Amino acid sequence: MNNLLLAWRLLKRDWHVGELRILIFALLIAVASITSIGLFTQRIQVAIQDQSGRFLGADLLLSSPQPVKQRYLQQASKLQLQTSQGIQFASVLVANDQFQLASIKAIDRHYPLRGTIKISAQLAGPETEQLHGPEPGQIWLSSRLFQQLNIDIGDRVELGETHLIASAHLQQDPGQAGNFLALAPRALMHMDDIPATGIVKPGSRLRYQYLFAGRHQQREAFERWLKPKLNTTDRLIGGKQGSLPLRSAMDRAEQYLAMASMLSVLLAGIAIAMAANRYSQRHYDQTALMRCMGASQSTLLQLYAIQVLLLGVLASILGCLLGYISQEGLVMLLADFIPSDLPPVNAQPFISGFISGIITLTGFSLPAILRLKTVSPLRVLRRELTPLPLSAFAIYSLALGSLITIMWWQSGNFKLTAIVLIGILAIAAILNVLSYTLMRMSTLLLTPLSGPWRSGLQQLIRHRQTNQIQILAFGMALMILITILLLRTDLLDRWQAQLPEQAPNHFVINIQTYEVKQVQDFFQQHQIHSEGLFPMVRGRISALNNEPVRQALNEQAREDESLKRELNLSWATHMQAHNRLTQGQWWQTTEHGQHLISIEQRLAQRLGIALGDRISFQIADQTITATVTSLRSVQWDSFQPNFYIIFPPGVIEQYPVSFISSFYLPPGNKQLINILIKQHPGVTVIEIDAIMNQVRSILTQATLAIEYVMLFVLFAGLMVLLASIQSSMDERLHEATILRTLGARKDFLRKTQLTEFSLMGLFAGILAVAGAELVAYGLYTQVFSLDFEPHIGMWLIGICSSMIIITISGLLSTRKVVQQSPMKTLQSI
Amino acid sequence: MTGDDGTDACPARVVKASKKNNNTRIMNSPNNIISAKNLVKQVPALDHSINKSLTILNGVNLEIKPAETIAIVGASGSGKSTLLGLLAGLDLASAGEIIVLGQPLNTLDEDGRAHLRARHVGFVFQSFQLIPGLTALENVMLPLELLADKQAEAKSRELLKRVGLEQRLKHYPKQLSGGEQQRVAIARAFATQPNILFADEPTGNLDPNTGQHIIQLLLDMNREHQTTLVLVTHDENLSKQCQRRLTLENGILQDESS
Repeated sequence: MNNLLLAWRLLKRDWHVGELRILIFALLIAVASITSIGLFTQRIQVAIQDQSGRFLGADLLLSSPQPVKQRYLQQASKLQLQTSQGIQFASVLVANDQFQLASIKAIDRHYPLRGTIKISAQLAGPETEQLHGPEPGQIWLSSRLFQQLNIDIGDRVELGETHLIASAHLQQDPGQAGNFLALAPRALMHMDDIPATGIVKPGSRLRYQYLFAGRHQQREAFERWLKPKLNTTDRLIGGKQGSLPLRSAMDRAEQYLAMASMLSVLLAGIAIAMAANRYSQRHYDQTALMRCMGASQSTLLQLYAIQVLLLGVLASILGCLLGYISQEGLVMLLADFIPSDLPPVNAQPFISGFISGIITLTGFSLPAILRLKTVSPLRVLRRELTPLPLSAFAIYSLALGSLITIMWWQSGNFKLTAIVLIGILAIAAILNVLSYTLMRMSTLLLTPLSGPWRSGLQQLIRHRQTNQIQILAFGMALMILITILLLRTDLLDRWQAQLPEQAPNHFVINIQTYEVKQVQDFFQQHQIHSEGLFPMVRGRISALNNEPVRQALNEQAREDESLKRELNLSWATHMQAHNRLTQGQWWQTTEHGQHLISIEQRLAQRLGIALGDRISFQIADQTITATVTSLRSVQWDSFQPNFYIIFPPGVIEQYPVSFISSFYLPPGNKQLINILIKQHPGVTVIEIDAIMNQVRSILTQATLAIEYVMLFVLFAGLMVLLASIQSSMDERLHEATILRTLGARKDFLRKTQLTEFSLMGLFAGILAVAGAELVAYGLYTQVFSLDFEPHIGMWLIGICSSMIIITISGLLSTRKVVQQSPMKTLQSI
Repeated sequence: MTGDDGTDACPARVVKASKKNNNTRIMNSPNNIISAKNLVKQVPALDHSINKSLTILNGVNLEIKPAETIAIVGASGSGKSTLLGLLAGLDLASAGEIIVLGQPLNTLDEDGRAHLRARHVGFVFQSFQLIPGLTALENVMLPLELLADKQAEAKSRELLKRVGLEQRLKHYPKQLSGGEQQRVAIARAFATQPNILFADEPTGNLDPNTGQHIIQLLLDMNREHQTTLVLVTHDENLSKQCQRRLTLENGILQDESS
């Protein structure tokens, strides 16, 4: 108790004289960053999932070829989930002697549970948002159906054995997620009309759809409960498992946020370690004196440990508060983008922020604090006696251990944690060598220089060891900032670039071979940009290395979605531009006609397929077997036609084939679709603007989120800089004062400092950019599957910024050496 | 803080200390508060080409009686501060024996020596050694706080009043003159009512006039508290005011008064 009180008093006094400010601010930032990123990630994930929910019409969608067991629905209602039921099927609509295949969804009065249905009273007319579907007796048709059936609003259409009134143009239905490519023009009707149609009979090809929505915890509980009970023909789609483009975008957003949070912890850790080191150094005398007064080693250790713990608890509580406030600020900032009914903040991010704060502080400051224990009391007589540092192994193990704990915990991604950490360690080693080389090389500059420039350089060389550490520390901090900037700019640019303004917004399918030339001419004539027409043959994977697929694969692989349906097979002479070969070779012209395939790498991974494997496909009533010669990565969110399986030309052309294309059409040119359809009644055009707008909206949110997170990383970086300058300030002040006392003019001192700081900035800048390029290379190629290109501009910007920041901060911090009388400076040291 | 009646401000520590010293030898001459025999201190030579260590103290013998005032004088680098450090248990001798208050220092570990210092030893240094972040009052309170003395503040106020700094309680060291800082240090040294006070060049950083005031204060308080004073100095004036004057030369200590 006595030690606690004494520690508290000592802590208050240290705070009073500003000894602890950097330490506490660094910790505050770390905790605030972890907490707010935690809260924010949690909320943004919910927001993104909600967006996906709107996309799906619900939080969860269960789709099954037959009605599901009643107890599923009972469980949902027990968990207070809202439910809606529907049936989806393909059928022909008839009007004015016109027949048109449509993808029809019959829905109940609860649909949609999330999002709204958009309809209009006329083609391309103003849209209105509807919370419910059509009334019984009515049907909402996509605009193309109105044209194809040659009807107007209020006309009757025939569906099976009944007639329904076409009462609105269906512009957007939240339930259009999923396999939108396979869908014909859409229609929405009421469930109550289903019996009258006589369509739903045993053996009809239809899917029963059950939609669920509710609070996060409840739906997670329901998902957990439901999943093991489903059979192989049931499909459960959660908000998070929406369509491929969405999933891909969300995964990247989450990876990025996790990494930003990891980096801010690392930066704060560096600042804490430096500040703790200085704190420890500045307490050598006090410790020696207290030893002299009879304090035992354990008493001292207790006193300092309690102080650190008190500091940690206080800063962590404040950090949690700050984290909450900034998170609220973010919610206000993003009010237009995130749903207003965000779930309340839960305690978990606070707890993890608080614990992370204590772990960071302990891991990074303990080596410095433990060093105080070994201060000799003899130091009161011989000031040159400095305590032995802990072994390097102990110091790094502690820091690394705490970092790994927090990073893994925060990111939940071991691979990412390992890559970042191993990368940083390797980079620290490489940069240390580089920093050593730069310092050695700088001695060569001594001869041509003179006056203050020479003195500045000498100063830098004289303190080579300390300066090298500072250059490395600041260089690493700057490296992290630059890496974040690179990632932010690059990832987002590339992300956005994948969805340029003129990204395809329509797919056209079912183009027959004889129509290919005409469709191409149509595109050319109307100056429609398209990536070309791709052949498509429907086929099912039937065997792997001559063994039926169900036997060849393990239980998990057997359940893969790709085996339950027909895949779109294609052939190509050249690989599509946005595909990337990851293994094997693309075929030569001489190999055309051979039974070879290129397979999408994730599918290959899921099914355990490797180069050289032989895969058999069931196409119509025939089987064809081909050898895997290459694996490709496919950019699913490119909105281009993408294929899992591609053959060389001359292998599958004899099978029933249709062509697919995607193109961009400005919003005002929608009438061109009708012209195309009139010319080619068999083709189906799918409008994907709505889906893309939703993806864009998610990307905008992610961008804003990332920029906000950047603020914390920047603050943490600034703390590293301040701690790094502070750590050497006493010595600098002392030396500069002695120089002044010996008659050095202010101008001389200024130039000496300018030389020293700008050289440090130069070296740190070189280290930072070189390191950032290395990290970026690793991350791009290993984590984000992106191509790496060096960032020439960043070299210039990085080095200049480093020189400017270090020089200005250094000069500002040491300005009193120049301005203040040497006597006063000497007294204050 | 063993008082005349043998009581201690921290009984638990006394029990611990007495247990520890059950096996220690009782010193030969119970009248000595400090005795040193054949004290040798060697340090490794800085020049590694010389395969020898440097001998700073070469067989020092010394006996100090309670309440005695001793001045150790000698040229710069003669080893005065080294001897002081050894006598105070801040460092260990290479050979020889030091007995302080009946306890041979070489049988105590670092924490054992710290324990001894806590209640029986006070220090005054040339560079004052005040903690810059603490006020004058807090600096004086520190050794008492380490002993968990509940009267720490009251005692410290009283001591600062005694050294004439009652108006300067809340001042930080840098707001005080050299003489004032040394007065705070003296107040701090007497705070735990030590049996022995070690002073290392207490006037070394002060002008002669201020130095004289400090010497007077130190000696007065020494008398008041019946403390044994061991001071290292090359201030002739100061050394003359001590009862005994010992000279350290070539690692050997000679008693000039004998």
